[in-house]
Parts: sequence; structure tokens; C-alpha cells
Amino acid sequence: MSENILVVGGGPAGLNAAVMLSELGVNVALVERDSFLGGNPKKFKYKFLFPDMQPADNVIGELIKKAEAGGGIKVYYSSEISDFKENGKKFDVTIKSADGSEKKTFDSVIVATGFEHFDPARDAKYSYQLFDDVIDIKDLERMMGENNFVRPSNGKPPKKVAFILCVGSRDRHVGNQYCSRVCCTVSVKQAIEMREHFPDCEAYIFYMDIRTYGFFEDLYWQAMEEHDVQIVKGRIAEITSGPDNTVICKGEDTLLRGPFEIPFDMVVLASGMEGGPQSPEISSKLGIELDEHGFLKPENITLSPFKSNKPGIFLAGACTGPKAISDSITEGAAAAMNAYTYAVKNR
Amino acid sequence: MEYDENGVSIVPSEFKKEIFEEARKDFRYEEYVRGCLNCGVCTGGCPPHRFFDFSPRIVLQKMKSKDPELIWTMMDEYIWACFQCFTCAMICPFLNSPGGIIAVLREIAVRRGFESAKKVLKPYSRVLLKLTAYGNQLSPDMIQPDFFPDWGPTIGYASTDLAVKRKAIPMPTLQVTNLAWDVAPEAMKELYEIFDEAGVFKIIESVDPSLYEIIQDIVDDVRSS
Repeated sequence: MSENILVVGGGPAGLNAAVMLSELGVNVALVERDSFLGGNPKKFKYKFLFPDMQPADNVIGELIKKAEAGGGIKVYYSSEISDFKENGKKFDVTIKSADGSEKKTFDSVIVATGFEHFDPARDAKYSYQLFDDVIDIKDLERMMGENNFVRPSNGKPPKKVAFILCVGSRDRHVGNQYCSRVCCTVSVKQAIEMREHFPDCEAYIFYMDIRTYGFFEDLYWQAMEEHDVQIVKGRIAEITSGPDNTVICKGEDTLLRGPFEIPFDMVVLASGMEGGPQSPEISSKLGIELDEHGFLKPENITLSPFKSNKPGIFLAGACTGPKAISDSITEGAAAAMNAYTYAVKNR
Repeated sequence: MEYDENGVSIVPSEFKKEIFEEARKDFRYEEYVRGCLNCGVCTGGCPPHRFFDFSPRIVLQKMKSKDPELIWTMMDEYIWACFQCFTCAMICPFLNSPGGIIAVLREIAVRRGFESAKKVLKPYSRVLLKLTAYGNQLSPDMIQPDFFPDWGPTIGYASTDLAVKRKAIPMPTLQVTNLAWDVAPEAMKELYEIFDEAGVFKIIESVDPSLYEIIQDIVDDVRSS
């Protein structure tokens, strides 16, 4: 008889975990709250992924195809865990979906519930939702994905666009002191993409630091050297409306200009990542720890970042903190290996 | 600030160190001065920054430098350019309060009777007098066209026949013209106790000795009544 493993969440991490486990001959129950697989990259229609501008569908689409191909994976769409009990070293779980409730026993569990994009409307100084032409990186990603890159206010292509980094990250006022890790790289990627496809549209990036870590640094050099992206040091203090249907970014260029007020056709906010409401929910349901940032807390952040504090429950992807899709996929594999080992040992 | 013939500040470095230590020992220091990565949000949102050579980011950075010389350079004019609107504190992602630390530095300047403090407080002597002697700030008889041109064209009418107009207010304590409201002697005595304990009278003595004398005359009168 093969092992039964529960994977909660059908984003990059959960998908990869499920696919790897099924290749090991495990019976996988993949519980997904949405009516589709793919997580946030699918939900918000990410178009190209950094660093190599690979179409998101090549990555996410591939994983979804494998998960939906059958094999050992049973996908529960629009579903959730309604009851969770430990049973010795195993777990008795009730999965609630549109088709009703199903009670099953699992040998181990992988939690890959992911993240939520920070809602920039929570930080009033950016005037998100107040001005149509203030959007965020996920909105722009969707626009690009739908080949509809125009100003929301008048449907015309913008001529000057500002990217503002660290929105909802590294800011004690909104309660997120941490860095969301990927938004710098995503913004730089988007600026390059925009300059490539719309060469007569100027791009500005306003930053406190640019954290295009590791090899992603190449992108930011490329943005300056090959795509003439203006990179200005200074976080934006306020966004107001300007003449001729513009939005004005107000701030201090701490290195060169001093105080500035620059009108733009469109502003793109690099909103960060949050644990979302699902993290505390799954934390209390499964009895696993939550950290001070609102993400799930690994047992040992360095030695076993994919283990929860509870034996038999493993963690993967952005549910333990902001990370890139590639890292989530790696963690999915790591969690799959650990969940499998635990299941085999305790059969 | 005083300089020698070469333009070098003649304030001894020991004194500057003392000023910095006084600020750092203030109970609010730890709360107001935290991390800073020079993002410029505070200065970007700072109203006086648009009019003066003044930047809350520089204030915070100088405090963080812990260099008494740098902090001393702000004690003369710099700290008085701030509007104390606390926009900086409202938007700083680190929860620093440049406006707050400026308040601390200003208090030091006032307590020690620095020239800058005297100069800045001079136009407020009438307000200081009312406030410390009677516990209220602006009285009807202070509203004169010359002092309040921004109150519009009716200011001339508003400043005449004050006694009659105030009688129309149905609260007896407001039917006075030399005060915003009539303050009971008991309340004033309590107020003086508070000012004594908090060192307010001492501060006024150091920044404006003649004003202090006028206030003390009133205080003595009330206390002996």
C-alpha cells in the first residue's frame, strides 16, 4: 500500500511537492482554495519571470499539467481543510469542497499556502485606488499579460512611468518591517520589459536600496546601461494629482536633486508580500507556529526551513516568508522529500 | 554662535559634548531616534523643507552620528526652522521622529537660555505672559487689526465695543475682555505650583528676564490675595 500525503496549496511550491511525491508513487491529496491551480502567478496572470524572462506559463503551466494529469494526485478545487486531528503519528483530515466533505487519514502533511500581495490602499500616502493611474506590480503584470498596457484613466499609452520600491515592505507604519525580497527585481524586470516594448515611454525607479540580490544584479545594470532607466535614490513621501491628468510623485532625491515633485502618466507600486489571512488560519487549524511577521514559522530557519514545529507537518514556499518562484519550487521538492521520509518511517 | 577671527567656533568642544549628552539622556531619545537608511521620505514630505534650508533627514542623521560637533551646528538656527507638524514622524518607515528630537533640542536651548531661543521667543512674550500668569493664551483685547491682518475685513468691527459684545455670551466666565475666560484665583494658584515644580518660571527667567519680572509681580499678587 502506498503512502498518503496531504498537500495544502496549489501554487509553485505545492504543485512541485505534489508532482514529486506522485513520481515516488505516493497518493497525494492536493487541496486548493481557488477553482484553479497555479497560485498567485496564475491568479494575477504573471507574464514573464525574472531573471531570464521565461514565460510564466512555461513554468507554472508545466507544473499544472503534470498535477492535473492524474497519476497519484487527486486535486480538490475550491476546497479547504475543515477539520484536522492528530492520530498517533498520522493525521485525520476532513477536506471540505463543493462536492461535500471527505474524511481521510494522511501519513504526513505539506503546507504550501503561499502569500498575499500587500494591498497598497493600506498606505494612504500612495493614493492607490484614489487615482486610476496609480497601480501596483501585480496590476502591471496582468496588464502586460493581457497585452493591454495603457493608462487606466484614459486608455492611452503612458509616456512616463515611475516605479516605487518598498511599498508595504520595510515600513513599520504598515506593520511589515521585513524586505519582500523579490519586488526590486520584479520592478526592474518590468521597467526593462516596458522599455523594450514601449521605447518612447520613460521609466524612473525610486528606491531606498535596490535589492536585486545575487545574479539578479545583472538586471539592474542592464536596466541602466541598455534601457536607459532612471534610477533615483529617495523613497516617495506622497502621491498627488497634477495638471494635465498626471500623478505627481513627491520626495527627496537624497543624492542629487534634493526635494522633487515629478509628474508621471502612471505610477507602479512595488507592493510586497504578506502572510495573508490564510497563514494564521492554517496555523491555528493545524497547531503550527506563526512568526512575528505573520508567516508560518519553521522549526529551524537555517537547518530545516521546510519543517514546522510539529513532526509530520512540513512547510514549503512563500508561506514561510517572501521568496522567488524558483525558491518556492526548490522548497516544494525539499518538503516532498521530508514528508516522504516521515511517511515511510511511520507506516 | 561665536567665532574667532578665522571663522572657527569658539564654543569649547566639552560644552558641545555636554549638550549632546543632555539630549541623549532625555527619556524620549530612544523612542525618537531609531534606524535610518537615508530614504528621504521625511524630507520629501516636510513642509518647511520647501522654504528653508532645513531637512529632518539631516537632523536625524546628525543625531545618529553621535558627533557633538555636528549636533552643535543645528542648535543655533537650524532647529527653529521646523514647524513641529510631525509629518516626518507620521511617514518615517522606521518610526523615527525628527520633529520629536528637535523638540528635545529646542527645550535644551530654552532651558539654557541660548541666544537663538531668546530671539525666537521674543515675539511670543505677550502670549507667554497670558499663558503663565493666567493660564489662557489669546484674549479678546489682543485681537487688533494691526496684529491680525489675516483675519479678514471684519477684524476692525470685531475689535470694537468688546465689553458689550462679550456680555452677549451667556456664560459669565466668558464675559471678560482681558482674558479668554475668567480664571478663578484658586485655579491660578494651582497653575503656579505646577509651573514652579516643572521649572517653567525658571526657564522664562533665563530667556526673558524682564518678562519674568512682570509675571512674578502678578504671581505674587494672586498668591497674596
